Amino acid sequence: MWERMTQDVNVDDDTARRFLEEMLRIDIFEEETKERFGDGEIPGFVHLSGGHEGSHVGMGAAMRDEDWLAVGGARLIGQYIAKGVPLPEIMAELYGRVDGSNRGHGGQMHVADVDRKLYGHAATIGSGQNPAVGLALAEKVKGTDNVAVTTIGDGGTSRGSFHTALVFAAYWDLPVVFVIENNQWAISTPAESLSPDSLSDYGDPHNMATESVDGSDVEEVYRAVSDAIERARNGEGPSVIESRVVRLVPHFEGDKETYRDEAEYERLKEEKDPIENYRERLLENDVLTEGEIEDMVANIQDEVSEAVEFARESPEPEPEAAYEHVYRTPLYGQGE
Amino acid sequence: MSQQVDVQAEQTEQTIRESLNQALYEELERDDSVILYGEDVAEYGGLYKISEGLYEEFGDDRVFDTPLAETTLGGSAVGAALAGARPIVEIMYADFLPIAGDHLINYAAKMYFNYGDETSVPMVVRSMYGTGDGHGLHHGQSPEAWFMNVPGLKIVMPSTPKDYKGLLKSAIRDDDPVLFLENKMRYGESGPVPEEEYTIPLCETDIKRRGDDATVVAIGGMVYEALEAAERLSDRGVECEVVDPRTVTPLDTDPILESVEKTNILVTAQEAPTFGGFGSEVAAQVIDDAFFYLDAPVKRVGAPFTPIPFAESLEEAYVPTAEDIETAVIDAIET
Repeated sequence: MWERMTQDVNVDDDTARRFLEEMLRIDIFEEETKERFGDGEIPGFVHLSGGHEGSHVGMGAAMRDEDWLAVGGARLIGQYIAKGVPLPEIMAELYGRVDGSNRGHGGQMHVADVDRKLYGHAATIGSGQNPAVGLALAEKVKGTDNVAVTTIGDGGTSRGSFHTALVFAAYWDLPVVFVIENNQWAISTPAESLSPDSLSDYGDPHNMATESVDGSDVEEVYRAVSDAIERARNGEGPSVIESRVVRLVPHFEGDKETYRDEAEYERLKEEKDPIENYRERLLENDVLTEGEIEDMVANIQDEVSEAVEFARESPEPEPEAAYEHVYRTPLYGQGE
Repeated sequence: MSQQVDVQAEQTEQTIRESLNQALYEELERDDSVILYGEDVAEYGGLYKISEGLYEEFGDDRVFDTPLAETTLGGSAVGAALAGARPIVEIMYADFLPIAGDHLINYAAKMYFNYGDETSVPMVVRSMYGTGDGHGLHHGQSPEAWFMNVPGLKIVMPSTPKDYKGLLKSAIRDDDPVLFLENKMRYGESGPVPEEEYTIPLCETDIKRRGDDATVVAIGGMVYEALEAAERLSDRGVECEVVDPRTVTPLDTDPILESVEKTNILVTAQEAPTFGGFGSEVAAQVIDDAFFYLDAPVKRVGAPFTPIPFAESLEEAYVPTAEDIETAVIDAIET
């Protein structure tokens, strides 16, 4: 570690501590998720966020509670946490239990929470930007200054639906912030084969403000997204931000990652881990001590254990729940 | 007939085009959260002039044009509905609905289910279908079968001016996503429409003509063909009951079953290809729940399993008509 240059901390100490704490919360929650999935307690499949934590936390911290987050890409759990969904509700949803955020109807890829302004329907990658445009449209019609932030991975930017969303956001000049989390891997397909130098360049033809930042640096993401949100709130229209992150986990748990270069992977883990880097930075700048970080970790571990207990104790949905909530208005054949 | 409509009330003669325009006008006026957008719907008034005059009346905050991208028409409606608006979007031709399909099938239809609380997406997607104008492969297909297999979507396919108006108003007020399909070949059909304000509930099958000898379940524009066939058959002493479900999904099946239990003959009629279509589902429902009432095999009238052809001679051969329904009823009765 000694060979690294010491970086300044450019936010106040409280904010810096919150950044680290929130990134650790994602990391510890996901480590536990991985364990519980490995033990067969969590069904389905899970995609973890390792390497994206700084991007998620920086983005979440830049938003007001009233701003929408329309999630996309595959690294979602960190985004749910960054938008403030309580850990027990997320964990119970991963377990498919009645006390989950979606009562077990959605699972890991579909956590949604309208009270926390989380639009969470993301699994047809590259689509979520279109509802985000609609969220911003409705906020504009209602006359609020709320903003819609929407995320997408590098893979999703190849879908036409991403580009039509850009067209509409520009046409209506809506308060939308497009955040592209470029971790360079669409499962096994590298983003370097895509033609733009930066994926934020996709905003250029629409004359949008664009910026490409080091997404492993929580403060950089926080600054860039804050700037974009401020522009959007002030009526200056949409922005596109590329958050260059690294994927320090398999695409989903169980992916053998045979397509990755071993040495390069190790280098990224050593150099680009957003949590480890920020931890060092806060220690070097005397924002936190080792002991304080240990306490922080211990507290989060307790929170996560409680979330697991909550999920385990929550009942599985009764089979008839599969037929509930299909239509909002009672209908023939719907049991009303 | 709908309970909401007082049959004694004053009625005026109106076209479907006029009744739809009025429905949109009334709902935009009633509720500020209603917005109407799509390609060429504002100043141009829509390709078929259904939204004519609304932009002038309500301004570009409420009625506005969009770039050409059905993907975002569908997706933005989902988001706007979630955030408190009641969007009505026009997809110029139903043939273009698959472009918005991701947002209708994967998003709109599943939102209420996925959120698992009271969150819903009150949105209406209006779109036009209808064959017989030489518009060929991509400007007239009937799309109901593409979407009726999707739980969470409601599909409304009215026939008369009165139904069009009452059902569109209900669709706009409904909290579920509604696909509202308009037969572009029938916009000029006229009929009595109540002068007073009214709505017609979704998911209520209507009996358009009473008869004891055969049940014809027809959808959308085919209701007119069924009524014409019924008149001809009446001259031959066969009285058809013409059943108009009006809402394709979720289907109100009881009136269909009751009719078949009385007539013992079932013929279905749709404009889409017969295979895997709406009529097949109606037939299956009747076979499930009223099989022993049937005196003859079910006859399904629809298009052949081929794309809509362009040449006049081919198109004429393709489109199902009153004669086809008449033949099907006679075939069934004579079985």
